[in-house]
Amino acid sequence: MTAVQKRILINKLALGFSTFSAVIALGFLFWILGVLMMKGIDALNWNIFIYEGSPPGYEDSGLKHALIGQLILVGLATLIGVPLGIMAGTYLSEYGKNSKLAHTIRDISDIMMSAPSIVIGAFVYAIIVMPMGHFSAWAGAIALAIIMIPIILRTTDDMLQLVPGTLREAAFALGAPKYKVIIDVVYRGAKAGILTGVLLGVARVAGETAPLLFTSFNDNFFTTDLNAAMPSLTVTMFNYAISPYDDWQQLGWAAAFILSMFILGLNIVGRLILLAGKRK
Amino acid sequence: MASIIDIKEECALQVRNFDFTYKGAPAPSLKKVTMPIAKHAVTALIGPSGCGKTTLLRAFNRMHDLYPGNKYEGEIEFEGRNILDPKEDLIHLRTKIGMIFQKPTAFPMSIFDNVAYGMRLQGIKNKTELNDRVEKALQDAALWKEVSDRLKNDANGLSGGQQQRLCIARAIAVEPEVLLFDEPTSALDPISTQGIEKLVIELKERVSIIIVTHNMQQAARVSDYTGFMYLGDLIELGHTEELFVTPKEKLTQEYITGKFG
Amino acid sequence: MIDKIFLNMTRTSALLILFIVAWIFVVLFNESTEAMQAFGLDFITKDEWAPNLDKFGAYAAIFGSVASTFLAMLLAIPIAIGVAIFLSEIAHDKIKGFFGVSVELLAAIPSVIYGMWGLFFFVPILRDIFGGMGIGLLAAGIVLAIMILPFMAAVTRDAMNTTPDILKESAYALGGTQWDVIKDVIIPYAKAGIIGSLILALGRAIGETMAVTFVMGNVHHTPNSIMDPTTSIPVTLANEFTEADSSLYFSSLFGLALTLLIMSFVVIAIAKFYFLRKVRKA
Ligand SMILES: Nc1ncnc2c1ncn2[C@@H]1O[C@H](COP(=O)(O)OP(=O)(O)O)[C@@H](O)[C@H]1O
Ligand SMILES: [Mg+2]
Repeated sequence: MTAVQKRILINKLALGFSTFSAVIALGFLFWILGVLMMKGIDALNWNIFIYEGSPPGYEDSGLKHALIGQLILVGLATLIGVPLGIMAGTYLSEYGKNSKLAHTIRDISDIMMSAPSIVIGAFVYAIIVMPMGHFSAWAGAIALAIIMIPIILRTTDDMLQLVPGTLREAAFALGAPKYKVIIDVVYRGAKAGILTGVLLGVARVAGETAPLLFTSFNDNFFTTDLNAAMPSLTVTMFNYAISPYDDWQQLGWAAAFILSMFILGLNIVGRLILLAGKRK
Repeated sequence: MASIIDIKEECALQVRNFDFTYKGAPAPSLKKVTMPIAKHAVTALIGPSGCGKTTLLRAFNRMHDLYPGNKYEGEIEFEGRNILDPKEDLIHLRTKIGMIFQKPTAFPMSIFDNVAYGMRLQGIKNKTELNDRVEKALQDAALWKEVSDRLKNDANGLSGGQQQRLCIARAIAVEPEVLLFDEPTSALDPISTQGIEKLVIELKERVSIIIVTHNMQQAARVSDYTGFMYLGDLIELGHTEELFVTPKEKLTQEYITGKFG
Repeated sequence: MIDKIFLNMTRTSALLILFIVAWIFVVLFNESTEAMQAFGLDFITKDEWAPNLDKFGAYAAIFGSVASTFLAMLLAIPIAIGVAIFLSEIAHDKIKGFFGVSVELLAAIPSVIYGMWGLFFFVPILRDIFGGMGIGLLAAGIVLAIMILPFMAAVTRDAMNTTPDILKESAYALGGTQWDVIKDVIIPYAKAGIIGSLILALGRAIGETMAVTFVMGNVHHTPNSIMDPTTSIPVTLANEFTEADSSLYFSSLFGLALTLLIMSFVVIAIAKFYFLRKVRKA
């Protein structure tokens, strides 16, 4: 075999391996997705949206409590995390720019983005749950907000920097003060990007279980009391899945399905907004 | 209506009725191009941006095949066969027809390994042979003096002009018959440009050269033949002096006198 | 005036992130001092974890974290690189787009679902093949590997895609095959980015809780084989935090959390400051 023939053979083998690994990987991933779909759709019915949790074996048990709780927790986290994240990102892009402080904040924030979320849960437990003496929706929402801030900060910073400097200069030339330039010109220019960042940030924390385990904890019943433990889809899913009861496990899959659809929906909408923004 | 000169000497390549259509493009980017390429001479391709110079150049080593869906029609004859034949051995073809790009493309490896790369692909492992041929190629590319003491250094540490000469050394190390240059000096300063131009003229002793340039002076300085292209047509091919002094086509005349472009 | 207020608001928000990070370290450190004082170095070198005796040695959990992550990386890296090569160099445009987006969306699926799949669908298969419970280090490693695979493949592909087309074309122009171009040009060119991304994935794996909680076993015992049930830091925290009944127990759990945070900070900092910084400069 000549050297060239050998290379051609190796090429075929290597590309074959790559394609094979893609098939394996996607096979596993679609297996998981398939399970989620089958199990989830199987377990789906109207009762889920009407009833709250009940002991195993009851007909009329549902996930209403967890659905509402999830919305409250994620909504609250968004209300706390998004403004802070956007303001922090604004500082980095518009004021801090290339200063040492700005770079330090960017680096630390990036590292935070990958910090283990269960550790954030432990931290919030220490600063909120312990002093208060009980679990609470606030604690869960704050844990989620801490996870969300670095994500929003990063995308805001990136997106604002994409707004051309000439646009800012044009606004300054008209005599606008800096905050007005930022709000009226820069934010407007980066609207699509920031919105996408927010959606992806929300999607990211909506799937978090670990930081809620010992902050908002869980509850089998419907509640809107922010000072008490609050159920969430993720923790409910976790508890139901490890339970030995068939009907609870079913509800666990239903919760998994609903939550995944919500998160995928947010991801897809976020991407579409970014694409539409780029087209313009 | 095109005015294509008949080349008396031996030809390195013969393009006949060549059409090229990019994937998904509504119309061909090259239309019925017929063009002889003289052996051991420099042929320059000029014309306004987007007229198809690069497209034609990249057909000679079938670079377009890297992106599926592009369509060739017609014939390009090289060493007695039509290289547009789907059965053409592209690896072999590309070792016979080398290419230099718009920007230097030093690989992320040492200077020595860059120059040896093509030879190693061909299975040459012998140390002395590699050493000799790397030195020879670097000398031919007028780079040896500058890098002989740091062959093991990363090639990306060289200046732009040096990197471009390194790319030329890398291409000639495998002893091709034809070298394709696509605006090789567009990213370089005037001094480096001069060096590359000098090299092109020296190299034609051994290889046939096709050089795309947007710079008419460059074409005039380095080439023996010049082809003027416009909107996918080869309008005129002639001896360089004749084409610039007494163009046969009105379009050529307008272009070289700066009426458009 | 308003300008000043706006500046101060944004600056405070930005500084808040530094403050929170510092605060996290201080709180975890304070909360874990009791355990540190009680056990000293034994905390990380002994594997006796006996809440009833108020004895806490975290070696098994630390070992489990490291071992499951190592196993996951071992399995995921070659496959992720294969997938990345497939997505960036082999697949046709349409497949590329479809699989590319699928992989990115799969990276967004909550990790707890990977854990549920592992428990109900994958562990039984392991049980059939190897006997025993199926739950253990191997199951955790595999589920973790599958969980980080989409992220790893997506970022590795992105790193590979930074290779300029004309650099690849130059290698083809010398008669290189696709694989020659991948191994001699693309991988060396994107090396720093690829390694950085792989380490970032490692950081994710080491801190991952929910994908492994179901399938690891939560047994404080250093495993003798990859089929043995064991535990990891996040698994211990998830299972025991709400059950801790003594202050030393709590303090030990905070000690685990601090250990995990430091481990992941170091890993991520290496990825960011050493490898990915190089990429940004280039
Ligand atoms: N990859 C491509 N896909 C589709 N059309 C292309 C592609 N590359 C070039 N073209 C089109 O082909 C024509 C010729 O381009 P090119 O050969 O690059 O021109 P030149 O090198 O003379 O500036 C142009 O109209 C250009 O828009
Ligand atoms: Mg061109």
